[in-house]
Amino acid sequence: MTLLEVRHLEVGYEVAGAGVFQARRVLPIVRDASFTLQAGQTIGIVGESGCGKSTLGRALIRLIKPTSGQVLWQGQDMAAMPEAVLRRRRAEMQIIFQDPVAALDPRMTLGRIVSRNLATFEPGLSRAALAARAVEALRLVGLSEDFAARYPMELSGGQAQRVGIARALIGGPRMIVCDEPVSALDVSIQAQVVNLLMDLQAQMGLALVFISHNLAVVRHISQQIMVMCLGRVVELAPRDAFYARPLHPYAQALMAAVPEPDPVREKGRRAVLEGELPSVLNPPAGCVFASRCPVAVARCHVERPELRDFGRRQAACHLLEG
Amino acid sequence: MPLTPMNGSLLSVQGLTVRFHLAQGEMTAVDGVSFDVAPGEVLGIVGESGSGKSQILFALMGLLAVNGRATGQVWFQGQELLGLPSAGLDRVRGVSLSMIFQDPMTSLNPYMRVGDQLAEGLIVHQGLSRADAFRAAVSMLDRVRIPDAARQARRYPHEFSGGMRQRVMIAMALLVRPALLLADEPTTALDVTIQAQVLDLMAELGRETGTAIVLVTHDLGVVARMCDRVMVLYGGRKMEEAGAEALFAGPRHPYSQGLLAATPRLSDALGARMGVIPGMPKSGGAGPGCPFAPRCGMRVAACDVQPVFQDGVACHRVVR
Repeated sequence: MTLLEVRHLEVGYEVAGAGVFQARRVLPIVRDASFTLQAGQTIGIVGESGCGKSTLGRALIRLIKPTSGQVLWQGQDMAAMPEAVLRRRRAEMQIIFQDPVAALDPRMTLGRIVSRNLATFEPGLSRAALAARAVEALRLVGLSEDFAARYPMELSGGQAQRVGIARALIGGPRMIVCDEPVSALDVSIQAQVVNLLMDLQAQMGLALVFISHNLAVVRHISQQIMVMCLGRVVELAPRDAFYARPLHPYAQALMAAVPEPDPVREKGRRAVLEGELPSVLNPPAGCVFASRCPVAVARCHVERPELRDFGRRQAACHLLEG
Repeated sequence: MPLTPMNGSLLSVQGLTVRFHLAQGEMTAVDGVSFDVAPGEVLGIVGESGSGKSQILFALMGLLAVNGRATGQVWFQGQELLGLPSAGLDRVRGVSLSMIFQDPMTSLNPYMRVGDQLAEGLIVHQGLSRADAFRAAVSMLDRVRIPDAARQARRYPHEFSGGMRQRVMIAMALLVRPALLLADEPTTALDVTIQAQVLDLMAELGRETGTAIVLVTHDLGVVARMCDRVMVLYGGRKMEEAGAEALFAGPRHPYSQGLLAATPRLSDALGARMGVIPGMPKSGGAGPGCPFAPRCGMRVAACDVQPVFQDGVACHRVVR
């Protein structure tokens, strides 16, 4: 069943004009993103900082209003939902954040943090019922009952992220947007949190949007991989095909840059990319990756490649068109 | 009177202990750690939060927080660094010992042009004229591949991207051609593509200037790429030390084994669960037993007594 369908989504932020008297303008962050997510499945969204992956994640659950395009939640256009309906619907679509400690209000008990949304989703629940549901949610993420009375400052990063997950779970979600959920955690804790998300997904049939810069982590949890570069989707592929061989040169470069715990492989390896990302304020006319692409030709600098089908996958690169 | 090491070490650390005075009492962050660094060598120090890995570097640089105190011996180029008055320490730090920090934005002076910050060290320590020092700074910025270095040297740190700022830090640290560079998680804040560039640059310039590097990181991939030798730290104690290839091919300490198993790789089975170490990292050391014992699957009664570090590993269960 298709849970989420994204059609030509554009998201931007309004910024000051070029000069003092110039009109404000919209800075495009996500350009023309389209994909579908099935119930119970995970899409991994990867890319460097500034590629628009977090902005896209927030726009999916309408924490940011898209500039244009559509997000269909179980077939319904979210833009057409009245605010009151959308608010209750949010029980089904939740988010967890990169900095797990900053995402928790330091002055609230964990029980209150976890159950607070529930008062919105299911108005009329008694305080006792809210507290009981909080304890239940904390148990699901492996935290004992006594955590409900504690405060965020008593938690390690891994525990704080578990609380963030409990908060997302309490309304019985169908989808969770995970925005770099393990980047701030220690290696051994990272693995615990990824495994927890995988277990919860299997138990509850959750769909996940797993946003990460780490291709080695995404590999464990995603069925579909979407690669973004400077606001554009450059490749969208089923996991196995993608990891066997990414098609887009940018995806290949990202893969090659992942440092592996293997000195025999790593020693003598050289960085494949020179240079840095162009600015979003001044995006290139052609392919977003052309300025750093090791195989770019003249056409790549002037004409933007469209995302095209290659079997079951899509990529945006002139050189693949042959 | 401790003797200068005769083994040709550039840096020799013996029984380094770092303690902090807190309201709740004493906290031991580093507990009796010893290691040597040879000229030109790259030593990796790996560990999770609370392992004490960064505090070792801060202790060497004399940069511990005011409530912290380091004891033990730190011989660097025949001189004891611990307890050196700050004037003496400044001579060492500006000339033969440099450090790169994790966050380049907070370690550069926001009010000073980048070129002037680089030049300052040469003016103070090598007596260069302002103009000569600035020229040297520009040429070093060019070496770390900052495009249009002469113009960029007149800019302020906030005008640079994260990757470019870290290049500026590397340029600054290596400008004086130090004998030893201490690098604290230098690429953790960077994207993987930029990380690869910055690591290559550090390795290349290090080889050129003959600079030895102590690289502190939580990322075993970074260690594999950069290091000749690796020291694994947990709860303030040294768990294992080995050549990089030996450690990755056959980790001996259960903690090193767990850390390697928990590190995601591109060769992992698709869709598989990740390898884990149960429990949470310990912060602060100085319990009586092995600090890793509470999380260790191989724990036995003997682990309540601190194992002696011997033949490259501190563990009662390792067959020697």
